[in-house]
Amino acid sequence: MRDVALHLSDTLDHILASIPLFQPEFALIAAFLLSIGATLFTDRLWKQSSFFIAIIGYIISFVSLLPQLHQPASAFFGMLLIDDFSVFARGIILFALLISTIFIQQHFKGKIFQKNLGDVYTVLLTAGLGLNLLTITTNWLLAFIAIETVSISSYILVGYFSEHKKQSEAAMKYVLFGSVCAAVMLYGLSLLYGFTGNLDFVSAAHLQGLTAAPQVMTSIALLFVFTGIGFKLSFVPFHAWAPDVYEGAPTPVTAFLSTVPKVGAIVLLARITQAWASSLFYFGELTILFLTVVAIVTMLAGNLIALRQQNVKRMMAYSSIGHTGFLLMAVLVAPSGNPSILLFYLSGYVLMNLAAFAFIDSLEQKTGATTLESYSGLGKRMPIVFTCFTFIGISLIGLPPTAGFVGKLLVFTSVFEGYQSSGDLPYLLLLITGALTSVISLFYYFKIPLYAFLRDSQSDQNSNMPIRLIIAIGIVLTALVLGIGIFPDFLLGLFK
Amino acid sequence: MGLLSLLIFLPLAATAIILLLPTSLRHSYKYITLGFTVAQFALAGFLYSQFDAAATGVNTADGYQFVEHLSWIRMDLGTLGTLEIDYFLGVDGFSLPLLALSAFVMLMAIGASWNITKSLKGYFSLLMVLNLAVMGIFCALDFFLFYVFYEVMLLPLYFLIGIWGGARREYAAIKFFIYTLFGSVFMLLVIVGLYFSVINPDTGAHTFNMLHMMNPANYVENSFFGYINNYNEVFGIPARMIGFIVLFFAFAIKVPIVPLHTWLPDAHVEAPTPVSIILAGILLKVGGYGIIRICLSIFPDAAVDANWWLGLIGIVSIIYGALNALAQKDLKRLIAYSSVSHMGFVLLGIASLTAEGISGAMFQMISHGFLSAALFFLVGVIYDRVHDRYIYNFRGLASLMPKYTGYVAIAFFASLGLPGFSAFIGEAFVIIGTFNAESVGTGIPRWMAIAGSLGILLSAAYFLWTLQRMFFGQTRLKGGEEWASSLVDLTKREQLILFPTLALALLLGIMPSLIFDNLNSSVLNLVALVAQYI
Repeated sequence: MRDVALHLSDTLDHILASIPLFQPEFALIAAFLLSIGATLFTDRLWKQSSFFIAIIGYIISFVSLLPQLHQPASAFFGMLLIDDFSVFARGIILFALLISTIFIQQHFKGKIFQKNLGDVYTVLLTAGLGLNLLTITTNWLLAFIAIETVSISSYILVGYFSEHKKQSEAAMKYVLFGSVCAAVMLYGLSLLYGFTGNLDFVSAAHLQGLTAAPQVMTSIALLFVFTGIGFKLSFVPFHAWAPDVYEGAPTPVTAFLSTVPKVGAIVLLARITQAWASSLFYFGELTILFLTVVAIVTMLAGNLIALRQQNVKRMMAYSSIGHTGFLLMAVLVAPSGNPSILLFYLSGYVLMNLAAFAFIDSLEQKTGATTLESYSGLGKRMPIVFTCFTFIGISLIGLPPTAGFVGKLLVFTSVFEGYQSSGDLPYLLLLITGALTSVISLFYYFKIPLYAFLRDSQSDQNSNMPIRLIIAIGIVLTALVLGIGIFPDFLLGLFK
Repeated sequence: MGLLSLLIFLPLAATAIILLLPTSLRHSYKYITLGFTVAQFALAGFLYSQFDAAATGVNTADGYQFVEHLSWIRMDLGTLGTLEIDYFLGVDGFSLPLLALSAFVMLMAIGASWNITKSLKGYFSLLMVLNLAVMGIFCALDFFLFYVFYEVMLLPLYFLIGIWGGARREYAAIKFFIYTLFGSVFMLLVIVGLYFSVINPDTGAHTFNMLHMMNPANYVENSFFGYINNYNEVFGIPARMIGFIVLFFAFAIKVPIVPLHTWLPDAHVEAPTPVSIILAGILLKVGGYGIIRICLSIFPDAAVDANWWLGLIGIVSIIYGALNALAQKDLKRLIAYSSVSHMGFVLLGIASLTAEGISGAMFQMISHGFLSAALFFLVGVIYDRVHDRYIYNFRGLASLMPKYTGYVAIAFFASLGLPGFSAFIGEAFVIIGTFNAESVGTGIPRWMAIAGSLGILLSAAYFLWTLQRMFFGQTRLKGGEEWASSLVDLTKREQLILFPTLALALLLGIMPSLIFDNLNSSVLNLVALVAQYI
């Protein structure tokens, strides 16, 4: 009896000691609860109350994240793993969430919206919670819960705004595809648990169990697990939902979907690769082989299909698929270095995408332009917006002097190092594919300035665009992309 | 801030001023750009006069002058070592003449832009950004910095061709961009490879410094591009040869070589006159400069093995370009193909790996720089007046525009290599170098020299034939009286641009030492660097 009591007090002590480490997430949970209350009661008095609660929630969460820097720890019996990688990743996630939330608020500012907008901020907060969890765990169970939290929030975000048939269709596709992928992943996880009796994918017991299990079964289980992650990252062949959903969802939601969930999923994938790829057993090789093939196919498919798109949001969807392929390449070589290159590419990617969607959204609101064709001649009327948009395109291609270029160079550098030390052909193929797809991507990103500056407009309405908050954010993000491109050591020094 | 930085960033100040001025002052833009470009040209001239001709350049930092060396990016990449990128500028005998040429051609281009009316703000600011990038390319001694300038150069050009160009401008602009980018992304991979192969002996870190890349002692043993113990092969080709080939093609697209030249006629024909002038006068030289500065100096061992092929490509470009020029009916296309032919001499001279050949190639680049600029300007003159440049639509222009005909005749004779003009010196030295190559043993056979002289003969054919078709005989114009009245002779402004250019061609033809003096010690140093591997 006394033993149990002693044990219990130990346990309690551990839990109590773990709680401070969970502070950033608690901030999000508190903001979530408060914003539910606010949508029910105070929004009637002051429309923006839930918006400000969300914003304050992100900021508090960010602030409470700072003390965790350079303080690696583990909490709740190894369920949470707090290291610098997760701190930086969560920083990026919170930043992107903050910007997305402002986008949503601005997007619906002037519109009459039937439903309660406050719910959207609430859902975004839960998505943030799920993503934060995704970056601080090495436990399959928690990872699955986190993925599902993010997925369900995303379903709601896409479905909530659906006004016409196409949008409902997109939401439905998303839900069906997502649930099937989640189910498959869960089945894979149950197999893994069966083989190893352990859910922590970095633990020795887990690795030993994987080694001992029959090869065919482990391979199948791994592929099942990657299905679930693949859905979140939208790599080929689990990318089919992305274009429809990106096109159907309101632009700020697309901005959210194309950036934030990817950060979380990439961090999880990087942790898995880090733990497994160094192992000499076949599942390590299988992981590497799988990621290499998927990276090459994803880069090619994303960039090639983007060539044929006329809708800007659809084009951006395929572009982000292409970038996922590039991110997978960065994940593959992350074990050989530290994650700073991966983090650099991720933050560059987040900045570029948010800026691109800021411009897409403001253009859509101002002129109703959603296709490349409709951008014709707009460059003369909005020179600043389109100059910035062109710089973002340059950065997405990976040309200097932008953050996209430095990110690409760093990834190439680490892949080349892998090639030089191992001499493996797949690395070389990755490099060549990466280089080739940047040339391909030039074609479609440059359609934006092509239509805006080189073509003449069909309509001659002459409305000057006032600088609104959303454009201002886009311009600031563009300036950041250029600044990081010229002085990259600032950001990279931060991630050390 | 050193003189070279000033030279590079002067145009940026012009861009900033233009962007800040309101559109109502748009007529002042051209004076602002002209002012800045004149200042830049004066600075370049000052540098040229202050240059110490004894400087050996190429592979030692001491051999460069006006050196500026600041550390720019230092990033600790953990196991990948420290990323060491410098802001490293300097000029030697190869870059300085090209720098002066660029400033001169840029001045011509501003003069040719006088009548542009469409979105002046964008036009002049893009022109100045282009100016910045070009100057940067010729000064950069850090490969990363070089690459940044190299890519930045593409963006303004895309818009300059795409917005102010002719009917098929969109096609021409994207084609130009894609061709160059295709070469340069693979160049980026080689840069990364070189980065891992080379160590800065002072700090022990990997480096992008080009001068360190030229010293075999700095290469890490067993590294990808290493000199010693290098058994790396890619698809059965030795790694260093692969590096050379990739870099060569990246620059050869710019030169351009047959069969990668197809962007050039399109870009030239669709581009507005000033941009054609810059394309022909400066950008093609970036290709030749890159081959000398980077391919030859960093991979001399591979260059020695591959130079027979380089020579062959040069010959093919000379002959094929000339034959194509003979067949053209559009005057601008004819000039564009003559560029392909004349730039073939540059490649042939470089491939000979002899001091005469390389000096000749450099001289040919300078000479072609302002002669082709003058030719494109002359085409622009006639196109400005009647918006047509189809050769058979004009006949007997000599009686309508006597001064114009005089300038055209001089420019044509100078370009076809008449002794006394600069092109003769360039081509003659290339041929002499190629002829001597066999006795030096660089592996270039004599028949290549003979084939090169055939190219001179062909260029005489197409230039003289064009002169005869368009300018002599009875006046007959497609547009009749209307054209006859609009085809007025050269204005003062046009003469002011053309006269110094052609005078320079004559001056350099009579006194080639103006260039050769500054060039010589750098060329000898490069030849000595390469000769170790023959």
